[in-house]
Amino acid sequence: MLQHDVLIVGSGLAGMRAALEVSNDPTLDVAILSKVHPLRSHSGAAQGGIAASLGNSAEDSWDLHMFDTVKGGDYLVDQDAAEVLTREGPENIFELEHMGCAFSRDDEGRVAQRRFGGHTAPRACYAADRTGHAVLTVLFEQLLRRGVKVYSEWYALDLVVKDNVCQGLVAYDILSGQIEAISAKAVMFGTGGYGRAFRVTTNAFASTGDGVVMAYRAGIPLEDMEFVQFHPTGLQGSGILLSEAARGEGAHIVNSDGFRFMENYAPGRMELAPRDIVARAEQSEIEAGRGVTSLRDSVFMDLRPIGEERIRYALPSVLHLARDFAGIDPLDAPVPIQPTAHYSMGGIPCDINGQVRIKDLDGAPEITGFFAAGEASCVSVHGANRLGTNSLLEAVVMGRRAGRGILDVVHDLEPTSIDEGDMANAIGEVDRFLTADGSQKVGEIRAELRDTMMDKCGVFRDDAELRECLGEVKEYQERFENVAIDDHGSTFNTDLLDAIELGHMLEYSEVITVGAIARQESRGGHARRDFPDRDDENWHRHTLAYRPQDGDDGPRLEYCEVNMEPKFREPFPLQERTY
Amino acid sequence: MAQQEFIIDRYNPDTDESYQESFNVDVQPGQTVLDSLNAIKWEQDGTLSFRMSCRHAICGSCAMKVNGQSMLTCQTQVDAAAERGDPIRVGPQGNQNVIKDLVVDVTKFLDQFERAETWLEPYEDQDPPEREYRQKVEEFDHWSHASTCIHCGACYSDCTVAGVDENFLGPAALAKAYRFVMDSRDSKRDERLKFLSEEQGGIWDCTRCYMCVQACPKDVLPMDAIMELRTLAIEAGHTNNHGVRHHKGFTSGVRKRGRLDEMMLPIQSVGIGRLITGNLSAHKEMMDYTPGAIRLLKTRKLLTIAQRHGANAEGREQIERIFDEVEAEKHHHDVDADAFGAEFETAIGGH
Repeated sequence: MLQHDVLIVGSGLAGMRAALEVSNDPTLDVAILSKVHPLRSHSGAAQGGIAASLGNSAEDSWDLHMFDTVKGGDYLVDQDAAEVLTREGPENIFELEHMGCAFSRDDEGRVAQRRFGGHTAPRACYAADRTGHAVLTVLFEQLLRRGVKVYSEWYALDLVVKDNVCQGLVAYDILSGQIEAISAKAVMFGTGGYGRAFRVTTNAFASTGDGVVMAYRAGIPLEDMEFVQFHPTGLQGSGILLSEAARGEGAHIVNSDGFRFMENYAPGRMELAPRDIVARAEQSEIEAGRGVTSLRDSVFMDLRPIGEERIRYALPSVLHLARDFAGIDPLDAPVPIQPTAHYSMGGIPCDINGQVRIKDLDGAPEITGFFAAGEASCVSVHGANRLGTNSLLEAVVMGRRAGRGILDVVHDLEPTSIDEGDMANAIGEVDRFLTADGSQKVGEIRAELRDTMMDKCGVFRDDAELRECLGEVKEYQERFENVAIDDHGSTFNTDLLDAIELGHMLEYSEVITVGAIARQESRGGHARRDFPDRDDENWHRHTLAYRPQDGDDGPRLEYCEVNMEPKFREPFPLQERTY
Repeated sequence: MAQQEFIIDRYNPDTDESYQESFNVDVQPGQTVLDSLNAIKWEQDGTLSFRMSCRHAICGSCAMKVNGQSMLTCQTQVDAAAERGDPIRVGPQGNQNVIKDLVVDVTKFLDQFERAETWLEPYEDQDPPEREYRQKVEEFDHWSHASTCIHCGACYSDCTVAGVDENFLGPAALAKAYRFVMDSRDSKRDERLKFLSEEQGGIWDCTRCYMCVQACPKDVLPMDAIMELRTLAIEAGHTNNHGVRHHKGFTSGVRKRGRLDEMMLPIQSVGIGRLITGNLSAHKEMMDYTPGAIRLLKTRKLLTIAQRHGANAEGREQIERIFDEVEAEKHHHDVDADAFGAEFETAIGGH
C-alpha cells in the first residue's frame, strides 16, 4: 500500500493550487494523482479570462462582482461562497502574477482586463485568449520547483470511505496496469466536470465526471447535477469552444436575416448577456427556422466588427480554431456557431473550505478527510448558471482554500488504511472488462448516450422528453452490462479506460436527468418549456441526489437550503433576473 | 463520403512486436487525423493506443508523426495530410522510446524543463509588490510567444540534435528558458544565461536546422529563441565556453581563408589557451574529437593541409566585403538591442 499525508486527485487548476498550498508545510507528504499529465488537464483549455475586481480598466468592487455572480447564477448561488470567491479574487490574481503568470498587460503595465458576459465591469484578467493555459503552466512550474510528487497517468478507480471517514484511493497505473491502494489522511478531488455525456461539447475527452461518480458510489450525494451550462459559441458540429472573449471584444451574433437577435432577448446587454440566456436565444432562433448553413442548426458569430489588428492580438486562438477546425477565416466571413455543453455547475457538495459535507442533514456532517474544489465540486458559487471567467477564479480561490482547509485539520487526523476488501470493487471492475465477452461496444453505447442527452436533456427540456431520456439512459445501462472490449493487455490500455469512463457517464447521466425531471421550474441553465418561470417558493433550494440503495428504483432526491448569509455584507435578496 | 487508407505503426509491448497495419476509414469533409484514429479505435480495433484529450490544439497530448513529420493530429485535416490519394502514415513521435503503438515515453522530454529550471525565481531580497508587477506591453509582447508552448513534444521529436545527443536540452526547454530570461520578474537572468551557455546540451548545441520551428503547432519559434539566447549570453559576457569559441573559430577561419578550417576548428573550440596551460579536461576534449576526425579523413570530408587552399584573392576580397556589411548591419541591430536593454533595466529597476 502506498501512503501519503495528503493525496490530491486531478491536476487542473484546483488540484495544483491546493497541492501548492499544502506543500507550504514541509512536514507534510503531498502527492497529486491524475489520469493525464498535469499539463494536459482541461483547465488549460479555458480561453477568455479569470475574473477579479482589480479595477484596472474601470471602477470595480468585490461586492459588485458578488452581485453579478449571484444574479448570473439565478439566485441559486450560496452567498457565503460567492462572497469568499469575489473578496479573495484580487489577491489570488496577484499571487499568480507574482509566480510568473503570462498575463496580457494594459498601457500602464498592469494586468489587462476586458468585458465578459454578465459582468457589469471589465474584470476578466487575461493572457490573450489562452488564459487557462497560462495559469495551468505557471502552477505546474511552481509544483516542479517545490518537487511535489506526481502520479502522472494514474487512473483513480475508487474512493474509500468508512463510517464517513475517508481512507484513501484505489488507483490504476495506466503504464503498468497495476492496481494500487493509496492511503491518505486527506484526499482532495479536483477532477473536473462531466460535459462529455453530450454530443456537442467543448469538453476534453477526459471530462467524464470520474471524481463525481466515485464520490457518489462512496455514498456521498451529488448536488445540483441537473445544471449543465451550454456555451453559446461552440463551433458548429464539433462544439469546440470559441471564447466568449470574442463577444467581450465586440463580436456580433446574427441569425439568417443578419439580425442581431439579442436585441429581442437581452437588449441591455446584447451579446454580453450571461451564457444561458444567449444559448437559449440562439436555440430559439434556430428552432424558429432562422438558423444558418445548409443544416440550419446554427447562427453566425461575426468577428469583423472587432477589426483585424485587435483580432490578431487579442484573439489569436479564436482565429486559428475557426481556420483549422471550420475552414473559415473570421477576418473574411462570419463563423457558424451553436450551443455546446460546456460547464458542470453541479458536483460534490462542500463548504467554503473545500470540506465535503452532506448538506441536507442536521448539522451537515462532514466526510472527514475528504475535500473537493473546482468544477468537480458544488460549493455553490455558480448556482444555476456560471458567469464566464468565474470558473478559473473558483478553481484557484477554492483550490487554495481547500489546501488551507486541509492544513487546518490534517495534523489532527488519524492515519488511515485500505485493506484487500476495500480494493475488491475496483479490482472486480477492471477484471470484468478485461475478461468480458459480451456483444455490446463501448463506442456505440457512448455515441447513443451523447445523442440522447443532447437532444432530450439539452438547452430546453420538458417532462416528456426528459422521461424518454431517462428510459434510454437506463436501457444503455443495461446494455453496458453486456459490453466487451478488444484490448486485454496491461500496458497503456486506453480501451479499458474508455469502458470505465462510459460506466461513469451512464451513472451521472441518470442523476442529471432525474434531477431535471423533478425540478419543475426554469432557472439558469435548467430551462423547462413546461415550467418556463422561476419558482422561488418551491425551488429556491439545492438538489441532493443519493445513489440508489437496494430496492430503490433510481437516485433518491433530497433538497437543502441556499445559503443567504454572507459575512461581510447583507445578502442580495431574490429579484427577477433581467438583462 | 470518401475512403482513406491509414498505415499505422504498431508496437505490442507484450510480444515486443513492431509492425505496420493498414486501416480504411470513411472520411467526411473537415475530418481530422485524430477523428480518424478514433474511428479506427472505436469501430475497428480497440487495441490501438494513442494519447489525446482536448481535441483542439491546446492540451498537447496528440502530437504524432504524420507522413514523417510531427504535428498535432487533432489539428491536421485528413484532406491536407493525404496527397494524391496516397495512404496517410501515422507513427509515434521520434527521439523517444515507444511504450505502445503511438504512445511514447515522454519522461526524457519533460525532464529537460526541470533540468533547465524553467520556473520563475522571484527576487529574494525584497517582497513582491502589493499588487501586480508592472510590465510594459512591449516587454510582454517580446517574449509572450515563447509562453504559448503546450509541451506537445513535436519539436523535440523532430529535433536533429536530440536524436544524436541525449544531453541536449531540446528546443522546448530552451525556448521556455528564454521566456524566463526575458521576464523582468525573474531574478536569475544571469545565472540562466551562464548555465545555458556552459551546460552540455545547452544553447550552443543547436545546429540551426529549423525543424523545431517547422514542427511547432504554436507560435513558440524555439530556434529563434535559442539564437536570441546566444546573443544575450555573449552580451552578458558568457564567452569563455566551447560554443562561443567554436563560433569565433568558425568565423575567423572563413574570414581568413575563405573556407572552413576543419583542422583548426576543434583546437579553437576547445581553446588554445586551455590546451597550452595543460588543462586536463581540454586535452580530453581534444581526444574526444580524434575518432570523428579519423572517420572524416577516411571519407575525405576533412582535408589535409596540402589540400586546403581556400579562396583566391578576388574571392577573399568579396568575403571581406560581406563581413563588413554584416558587421554594419549588426551594429544597427545592436543599437536596437541597446535601446531594448535600457528599457529592460528600467522595467526591472522597479523591484
